[in-house]
Amino acid sequence: MEDQIVRMICRIIVPFIQVYGMFIIIFGHLSPGGGFAGGAIAGASMVLFALSFNLEEGSKKIGEETASVLESGGALVFAFMGIISIFLGGNYLANLAAGFPGGTTGKLLSGGAIPVITLGLGIKVTSSIITLFYHLIGGEEVEEHGSDGNSGESQG
Amino acid sequence: MEVMEILENLRDNYFYFIAMVLFIVGFHTMLTHSNLIKKVIAMNIMDTSVFLLFVSIGYVHGAKPPIMDTVQPEGVYINPLPSALIITGIIVAISITAFALSLVAKIYQYYGTIDADEIAEIRGSEE
Amino acid sequence: MYALEHVLNHLPAILVISLFVFAFIMPLLFIWKRDWCVPVATLSMGLSLAMSLALVIQVNQVGTFVYHMGGWEPPYGIEFRVDYLSAYMLLVLHGIGLLILVYSIGDLKKELADRVIGWYYTLYLLLMGAMSGMALTNDLFNLFVFMEICAIAACAIISIKEDRECLEASFKYLILSAMGTGCYLLSVAMLYMITGYMHMEKVAVALETGAAEYPYNVLVAMSLMVVSFGVKSALFPLHVWLPDAHASAPSPSSAVLSGLVIKIYAVAMVHLIFRAFPRELFEMIPMLEIILWLSTLGIIFGSIFAMVQENFKKMLAYSSIAQIGYVFLGIGLFTPTALVGGLLHILNHAVMKSMLFMVAGIIIYSSGIKRLQHFDGIASRLTWTMVAFTIGGASMVGIPITGGFISKLYLAQGALEVERPFFLLVILVSSLLNAFYYFPISINAFLAEQKREDITFKPVLKSMLVPVLILLALIIFLGLNPQPVTNMLEQAAEMLFE
Repeated sequence: MEDQIVRMICRIIVPFIQVYGMFIIIFGHLSPGGGFAGGAIAGASMVLFALSFNLEEGSKKIGEETASVLESGGALVFAFMGIISIFLGGNYLANLAAGFPGGTTGKLLSGGAIPVITLGLGIKVTSSIITLFYHLIGGEEVEEHGSDGNSGESQG
Repeated sequence: MEVMEILENLRDNYFYFIAMVLFIVGFHTMLTHSNLIKKVIAMNIMDTSVFLLFVSIGYVHGAKPPIMDTVQPEGVYINPLPSALIITGIIVAISITAFALSLVAKIYQYYGTIDADEIAEIRGSEE
Repeated sequence: MYALEHVLNHLPAILVISLFVFAFIMPLLFIWKRDWCVPVATLSMGLSLAMSLALVIQVNQVGTFVYHMGGWEPPYGIEFRVDYLSAYMLLVLHGIGLLILVYSIGDLKKELADRVIGWYYTLYLLLMGAMSGMALTNDLFNLFVFMEICAIAACAIISIKEDRECLEASFKYLILSAMGTGCYLLSVAMLYMITGYMHMEKVAVALETGAAEYPYNVLVAMSLMVVSFGVKSALFPLHVWLPDAHASAPSPSSAVLSGLVIKIYAVAMVHLIFRAFPRELFEMIPMLEIILWLSTLGIIFGSIFAMVQENFKKMLAYSSIAQIGYVFLGIGLFTPTALVGGLLHILNHAVMKSMLFMVAGIIIYSSGIKRLQHFDGIASRLTWTMVAFTIGGASMVGIPITGGFISKLYLAQGALEVERPFFLLVILVSSLLNAFYYFPISINAFLAEQKREDITFKPVLKSMLVPVLILLALIIFLGLNPQPVTNMLEQAAEMLFE
């Protein structure tokens, strides 16, 4: 779609969508939302950008390799927070019982390990939605690899 | 009368009734319709109906949402456990839908059709 | 060492998480250092095998123990419970998983495209992690999450080959599997409505009074659970996805699916029956009778369908339907001896069927033969492979000295204990039917003349033959000396039944 009006409005509105997505991720432990919902919104902003411009422009902003690395990195952050809490003395994924700083309820820096996990999860979901979009829309060529054991087999 | 009792029960628990109707609609569509995309949509309807049943179990009339209120911490909150479980469940359903749709895209590339009956005919004539 | 002690206390969580961490590192390695994918995957499976051995030793010393995630007590938290059955299942999973991984190093270069081989190991490690989680968990919703991860990973390792037939088979498996999961989630919702708990033992305690007040909910929950686990582990009328899925997948995937994935759902069902439902409920609701009769039909009809197949891998897939019927027969007879027989058959069939699928993969890799009528005289070139096939077939039939005989012996003893000799007759008839389709292949391969001169035999790689020989030695070892395994299983059955 190469319409001028769509491109202009997309240029204006994408930063707002991204700020809204980041807001939901960062305040995930205080208000409804959290990593999944915020990541979906931030990913949707990149999908909107790639739809109204070309797919190649979208690939230039966040390439395929970067999205793959961010995906694995987000999941590894989640797993490693649990392993850190084993080293600090609690069970796996223990929060205040393992010694993470609690803080006062209702402030931004509170809740122990939860803000870090939410941030990792948000980045992972964003890059997941971008990767899914690239692969479903971009398509791949059908490769005919004829070496899967069909040699030496006669008809019937 | 028996019928009046049943209708009163339905009016009080209309969440459960709607969830069951949606579940049966999704189940039946998944089995009988032959278009592959309709099967994926029906799978989503079936999962969503079970989530609806789960969340409505924890609902209390006139209570506050399950977020810690720092201004006034006392009061009745709705049950937070089903809501927390269903967030996980929704993500799982999204993953399965994404995988199923990419499989349908590949099947269309190889077979040229997304009708399950035609694909079965093509497979039968190839064997 | 302080670090070692620390790890040993938290083994259940570290076992599952290390598999997931390695599964997530694989895509990074695939982008930056492609040659490290295979060694890191083997390292991860080796580590988890060592950890499951450590868990078995711990359970033998201490008895059943629990592990609370995050330090939260149930009902607020998720609990991992390690008892004899879980430790046994973990050992089976990781031992055979490591051997199949070693086999797949040589086989995958020929079957898959080059750019997806790294992703195959990601899916394989995710599958192993999800199955380990399913064996360990004590929480109903956590079981649902691991079941879904297992379903996606199992469908993906079929469709990664990107062939015409495996895509359709994988889609069929995915749709039927999603149906089973929807039914399972609905039954968990029903149980939560009555009891308000997710933890299996607390559900049993609350159901003792709750089942009398809400009989319809409990009936719906139990029947939906039978349907859901029946679809996923191919109980008789719900087995229709299995032949296509297991026959068209790449050979290591077929070995994992037939050997391990359909068994873990049977083990999860055993956990649910014995922990989450009070014992008196089974006298009112005939769930076990239904499982018993469906498994009998599966045993007979699986063998009958297998006799008429022409494709080698499809015949093995139909034979899997018959063999999983034995496991459900052990569950349905509901005595300790029969349960030991059923659980021992999990190990025996995992070893036998993985070995047979690996044999099929070697034959396809070396000569491209897929149909049974072309098997004449190939034993002169592929000697060790066909010897392994013959011993595997003998074990399926249940000849003494091989492992399959011991599990059928326990099942027959269990059938006689509850005074239902009809099932003894079923076991004998099905062994005869198994002999009808396994032995002609061996006779054909060894004694017939090779008719087709245009087949070229490539030499078989060592990394593909060594796992087959290890499993062959294991079958004979289990036939002659089953004491270590049966001791552990008898303790497990005793503890489940008290």
